[in-house]
Amino acid sequence: MSAYQNLEQMTGDFYTQKFEAAKQDGTLIINMGPQHPSTHGVLRIVIEVDGEYIVRAEPVLGYLHRMHEKMGETQTWGAFIPNMGRVDYGHPMAWNWSYVGAVEKLMGIEVPERAEYLRVIMTELNRITSHLLWWGAYILDLGAFTPIMYAFDDREMLLDILQRPSASRLTYSNFRVGGVQMDLDDKCIEMIKAFIPHFRERLPMYHDLVTENIILRKRIEGVGIIDQDMCRRYGCTGPVLRGAGVAYDVRKDEPYSVYDRFDFDIPTQDSACSAGRYHVRVAEMEQSLRIIEQALEQLPGAEGKHIMDKAPKPAMKPPAGEAYFNTEGGRGKVGIYAVSDGTKVPYRVKLRAPGFSNMNAFAEASTGTILADAVAILGSLDLIIPELDR
Amino acid sequence: MLQALEGITTQCVAKQDKGKTGHEWSVFLAPGQIVKAASKLYEAEYSLEDVLALDFEEGFLVLYHFNRWNIEERVTLRVLVSKDNPTVPSIASIFDGADWHERETRDFHGVNFEDHPNLVPLLMCAEDVDLHPLVKTPKVRKSIKDILDLGEVISCNKEMEELFAEAEAEEASDA
Repeated sequence: MSAYQNLEQMTGDFYTQKFEAAKQDGTLIINMGPQHPSTHGVLRIVIEVDGEYIVRAEPVLGYLHRMHEKMGETQTWGAFIPNMGRVDYGHPMAWNWSYVGAVEKLMGIEVPERAEYLRVIMTELNRITSHLLWWGAYILDLGAFTPIMYAFDDREMLLDILQRPSASRLTYSNFRVGGVQMDLDDKCIEMIKAFIPHFRERLPMYHDLVTENIILRKRIEGVGIIDQDMCRRYGCTGPVLRGAGVAYDVRKDEPYSVYDRFDFDIPTQDSACSAGRYHVRVAEMEQSLRIIEQALEQLPGAEGKHIMDKAPKPAMKPPAGEAYFNTEGGRGKVGIYAVSDGTKVPYRVKLRAPGFSNMNAFAEASTGTILADAVAILGSLDLIIPELDR
Repeated sequence: MLQALEGITTQCVAKQDKGKTGHEWSVFLAPGQIVKAASKLYEAEYSLEDVLALDFEEGFLVLYHFNRWNIEERVTLRVLVSKDNPTVPSIASIFDGADWHERETRDFHGVNFEDHPNLVPLLMCAEDVDLHPLVKTPKVRKSIKDILDLGEVISCNKEMEELFAEAEAEEASDA
């Protein structure tokens, strides 16, 4: 008796069969994922390879789909905030901010100055944790184990800082409509002030250890070109777009909150390859430090409290209307489009995930490269799968 | 007037309050005009942010958010399609990124995108082709005029004006 009793099942599911219909002679179809380690979650890519070269690729999403948008339509405006911490575990503060920003727009709320500064400080600290997570995991994907230990060492310090005002270490949901849940205490500010010089000293070591490493450079330089036209067609934003030489950053180009009061640069690279995106992210961590430093200086002079007086309750009723608000997340433009019908439950909440658009460009970018490059390209996009699938 | 969309037959062009809604130009189009409008926007260096649908009593309102990198001038294209035949031509041939956004919209609302290269379930599983989780029940479904506000109207045809006509009267009574 054959071990392959059910041959029909052995021929793959709907997506594999559909993909196979256009198969060329002499090629092989393989499934990368949903359990492949470099996909950092459950992402599946059906790939047609000719020898070692990728002829065609098609990502299959949905393995982590939780239907956040439906959840938004079944609970109150305030009760949806914790969902924002769970859409993107890498940089949840940006999602928090986009959502409360959209609701504040609907309700016409002005946030106290101090709350704006607190939001900036926490979002930027969170951006560094997001980039550190990516940095360690990306190098791990490419075969070097040690760097992630250094990255998590520093990330640990940041998590200790962030857990004080937010009471969580990963799925932050401490933003409230009208401000933030808790103010930074003195100890927390002290810890941030100690972290900045510490991390500035560590960054050159990161570069010595990894950035100029010849193996890394050979793996990522010139691999996975996503140029400006591709970015426009696919709607890529964030480090992918800045890695293609466009200095577009929501913090500078559509300034929200108090970002126009800080002096910081938007790092760009013209190479449009994986190495370009790598350099942009590493440089962004330095810029985030600059923003935090300036925000801490200006914080004592900021007016108001961490949250407005008489902040709306979770079962608030924004007036009927629509609002779109976007912020710059670790992976790009995080947008929330909220529609209210005047009741305490949202009529529609649309989540615009930056990773979704960035990943869409993967199939085109990976065509013609070798299979090992696919891992280098995937990692360079900084994917957070829950954000793709929502 | 919006330069980028010159020569396109629109149903309604309005300018919205950016501080209140986050939108700038709101343009209502007939389904037949969407591909032409998208290619005009591509020439004007716009990039696609997302595509989504809203479920209203009058039908599905499909929204396309466009933005430009260098100049801040957001454009929202709106296409209203009937519930009986919710079909919009696909713009995936111009903006490749629309491929996934349109598949997602089909998953959630059941809007059909004509000439889409690969209109199969993206986030929902392949077995649930006919399950559309974001379609509302009649009890909670609202009328378009109760929720959306046109803003400052630049030009508008009669049908669109009628669609929003009662809105102002009702808003006044609410206040």
